[in-house]
Amino acid sequence: MISCADFMAAIGDYLDGEVAEGVRAQLEAHLSHCSNCQVVYDSAKKTIRVLTDSGSFDLPEAAAKPITERIMARIRAQGRA
Amino acid sequence: MAFFREGDLGDAFAPFAALREHLGYVPAIYRAQSLLPGLIEAEHRLAISIVFRESALARVQKERLLLVLAAANGSAYNAVSHYQMLSLLGEAEERLNQLVYDFRSAGLPAEEVSLMEFATRLVLNGPAILRKDVADLVAQGLAGETILETVLLAGWAAFLATLSAGTGASPDFEPVEMPPGAVFVPEAAASEESADSGLPHLEAPELSPDAFAPFASLRDHFGFVPNVFRAQASSPEAIAAEVEAIRLVLLAEDHLSRIQKERILLAVSAANRNTYFVAVHSEVAGILGMDPEEADRLAVEYRDSGLAASEIALLDFAMKLAQEPGRIGAQGVARLRDHGFTEEQILEAVAMTALTNFLNMVQFGLGAVPDFPPRRVFPRISTKVANLSALKARPTNEVGTADPDSAVVARVQKGDHEAFEELINRHSRRVYRTLVGILGSPEEARDAMQDTFLKAFRHLGDFSGRSKFSTWLVSIASNTGIQLLRERKHVQSLDDDAAEENGGFRPPQIRAWDEDPEQLYSRAETRTLVENCVKRLPSKYRVVLMLRDIEQLSVEEAAEALGLGVPALKSRHLRGRMMLREALTPHFAARAAGGRA
Repeated sequence: MISCADFMAAIGDYLDGEVAEGVRAQLEAHLSHCSNCQVVYDSAKKTIRVLTDSGSFDLPEAAAKPITERIMARIRAQGRA
Repeated sequence: MAFFREGDLGDAFAPFAALREHLGYVPAIYRAQSLLPGLIEAEHRLAISIVFRESALARVQKERLLLVLAAANGSAYNAVSHYQMLSLLGEAEERLNQLVYDFRSAGLPAEEVSLMEFATRLVLNGPAILRKDVADLVAQGLAGETILETVLLAGWAAFLATLSAGTGASPDFEPVEMPPGAVFVPEAAASEESADSGLPHLEAPELSPDAFAPFASLRDHFGFVPNVFRAQASSPEAIAAEVEAIRLVLLAEDHLSRIQKERILLAVSAANRNTYFVAVHSEVAGILGMDPEEADRLAVEYRDSGLAASEIALLDFAMKLAQEPGRIGAQGVARLRDHGFTEEQILEAVAMTALTNFLNMVQFGLGAVPDFPPRRVFPRISTKVANLSALKARPTNEVGTADPDSAVVARVQKGDHEAFEELINRHSRRVYRTLVGILGSPEEARDAMQDTFLKAFRHLGDFSGRSKFSTWLVSIASNTGIQLLRERKHVQSLDDDAAEENGGFRPPQIRAWDEDPEQLYSRAETRTLVENCVKRLPSKYRVVLMLRDIEQLSVEEAAEALGLGVPALKSRHLRGRMMLREALTPHFAARAAGGRA
């Protein structure tokens, strides 16, 4: 039987679905009877979902364009030099 | 507070007397092991042969290198002690700080900088060191002996980092402020070297076991003289000290059994991706009555190998100490005590792990060829590490997916500068997010984008396609961002990181989240909320979240781009996710649903 500390040690890989079959079974068995770890795991999963789907720090086309132009202008100037 | 009881060895204990003479004090790292004087003797001998002895590198050069490596390893205990030693040797404070943050700026001769670069890459990603890296040093006029010493110092730095973390030794001097993950990390060499040359990286003279007692001793114990020692033949002093360390740490059966120690050696070597040591010590386990096939499997799958829970805990401890020394903490030791291990046994496990890291590093640096055909060959470039218990080696011929940018890159390299615009268009978002990740400010990130792309353009000729173009570009963005951060001296954020680092990781918020957090706020609101919380994270976690969760880079790509090892990247990633979870919980907790109203 694994402890909460064991579960927390493996939670990173578990969240990324990167644990071996045997380990996964142990982690799931732990989750089924430990409500604290369940809460942590569930909210961590949702954190990742919210973060990934939020489109945070997107660089809009309109903001990217002038930057691209400045860079290309510098490159062309160097090419001529 | 050290983790272990400190015994009184008396003034007459020779290594302590010698240390007082060499250093003026007895470092805590040794005092913390006073329960086992034999370990201290072995380590002191290594220190003499590698650091204190007159040799090709001057003492001050060795201490500089050790300071640089302690910073790269994130080992505060050792950084402080080398910093102090260099002060005593007359090094100016300004240079000491430069060494910690970016040794290239310390005004040292080019050869010394090259050695530092080589050694830093060695300690951070040993398996990626190639024969060519050593050949490049030779081509710069560096003598074989100097290179060997550098490799030994890298091993010693790894040894000390493991030992100080595992003993919980507190710094002997006022702590030096350590940059949180912002030390300069050299990029991996841009070179193709697919097949093993079957030769070690450095030539070594022949030493016969009949004429050299330490080799005779190795032959007696193992039945042969392992190539990793033959490769060091130009430093008989170091070999003699290592053989003594092997006798006192690995072969002695005072507390842990020889088999327990061999298991530590195998598991830690596998975690380090050291093909040599897993191959050689699987055979050595055979001499001890274990099936070599089984030993090889145990190295990577010890958790599923039918060992007792206490034995697995012992290996878990060693693995964690080897991979993430900063996070072992007193709890790690306490857990082993709960499993019934004595102080002495745990201390032996610490020393065995440190010795394994040392030997692994020396082998990586010298490229010693396995004495037996390896049953498995670990990849040179870090690949997915499934988890501690399920680390799997992959066939070395596994080829990465083709780089979608290679055609456009080739056009620019051939002189079609206009094609570079296509590369900007494809990657501006990723570069921008990397920079926001490091700098924390969208405005600053936009400014730094131009710099990043211009640098990439200027250096495109050096890009060899060894990594993907996008990974290479992100590493330039990351270096650019770190440089800016350093120039602006974000003292506040550095302090935050340091404080956080000491706290250790525990998940405190146990509040359930709403079933459907996405429904609580509008998309724009969620985005603002997430952005504000992400901005407040320390940059070393923020940048990893940005690359992994937003840009969806693979573990390997992100690790490569940031110049981190896979374990370090994963640990920062988890830490970042958990910190973000903490920050978001008040907004998304089940009861907060009304918060919108």
